[in-house]
Amino acid sequence: MSETPVLEGNTKQQRYESLVAALYQDVFRYALWICKNKPMAEDLVQETFLRAWRSLESLQNDKAAKAWLFTILRRENARQYERYRPELVDIDSQSVAERDDNEPDSKMDRELLHKAINRLESEYREPLLLQVVGGFSGKEIADILQLNNNTVMTRLFRARSKLKIEFGLDTENGNED
Amino acid sequence: MDELEFRKLVYANPRDLSQEVLDAGRANPAYQKILDETLLLEDSMNSLVESLVDVPAGLHQKLLSIPQRDGQESGTVSASRTTISPIRAKKQSFFQYYAVAASLVLAVGIVFSLSFNSGPSAADVVFGNELLNHLYHENKAIDDITGGASYTVLGIDEINVSLAGAGTRLLGSQASPDFEVRWANPCEILPAYQSAHLVLQGSQGAVSIIVINNSPVDIQYSIRDERFEGKIMPMQQGNLILVGEKNEDLDHYASLFSENVEWVI
Repeated sequence: MSETPVLEGNTKQQRYESLVAALYQDVFRYALWICKNKPMAEDLVQETFLRAWRSLESLQNDKAAKAWLFTILRRENARQYERYRPELVDIDSQSVAERDDNEPDSKMDRELLHKAINRLESEYREPLLLQVVGGFSGKEIADILQLNNNTVMTRLFRARSKLKIEFGLDTENGNED
Repeated sequence: MDELEFRKLVYANPRDLSQEVLDAGRANPAYQKILDETLLLEDSMNSLVESLVDVPAGLHQKLLSIPQRDGQESGTVSASRTTISPIRAKKQSFFQYYAVAASLVLAVGIVFSLSFNSGPSAADVVFGNELLNHLYHENKAIDDITGGASYTVLGIDEINVSLAGAGTRLLGSQASPDFEVRWANPCEILPAYQSAHLVLQGSQGAVSIIVINNSPVDIQYSIRDERFEGKIMPMQQGNLILVGEKNEDLDHYASLFSENVEWVI
């Protein structure tokens, strides 16, 4: 279960500020993973919080705030970016490399892992990112992706199977079929 | 526990393993190796995720200023519903899809009237918001009909042309006298959903009936704001959505429609 602090404050403004403070970094981090471009991720996060502000009254269970924001973000991304995505330079790979100048072995591993995750088919990458980046439970992922729980568990299994095979961590069996 | 079952449980959620899985690992070196390797991968992914947190300076402040900017925008929106927020205006020349760009401040209350195990999911709540945005901004016929404008009653063939896009059609050769459809078109509430939108003359003003041929929601719940009230209902192969002005008898139109509709996809 993702840990979302209960939003503080009595007024809409206070609740909104509490929502931003508690979750904007998580939302940006997830946006960056799905956009692969920082300016676009920043725009996407602003759009997400704009929509959140406008419909904050509909959030009746504060504990669902994080899943609610991630759902808005995914919808906004689908609506605005996926159809008209321009050619992007995958600056994240550069970022990964830049961060590990003092750890050459780690740099190589992280960069390869980053690319391997991004190469996963979206049906496997999406639940994996929601679990690893968002910290969501299987039930929450199922709600966000509108899948049943067993399907989510199967996709998470296959996502990790593929990554383990790619990194030589699993030579026995990566397929449940 | 066989090895495939063990792998499934470990790979699906290595952060939350049951005691049974941990015990199975301890009892079998091959299983323990699978577990150790999976946790190694998990640590690497967590480390990667943490390393990429580089939130732009000033983003927090920009997000905190959204209510103020949106309040300024709302002052102009009341005069014209086509004003676009600064954030969106910047991108409009870049991205062409802005069907719901000009949102009013909506206070949407979502009440689930029937649930099986739980209330509407976060996705359902967002869908309700999207739906009301759509009705406010993308359909002139709703305001016209509520305002008393004269629209011709459509024949069943015209209605069925629009419904065809959503994989449905009305049976019979003519619509019920109570079912006066004044406007009908395919519509696109969300990019992934094929849908049709009918607007009827109700007792309180316009009544929207929207049919979606694949299901964005799977429980029935109600939506409302200061103007509209609506119901979102799962049907045989999609959703039926009814939204009318306050105090409209939506159940009456739901019955009329659902008794006469046939799914053809």
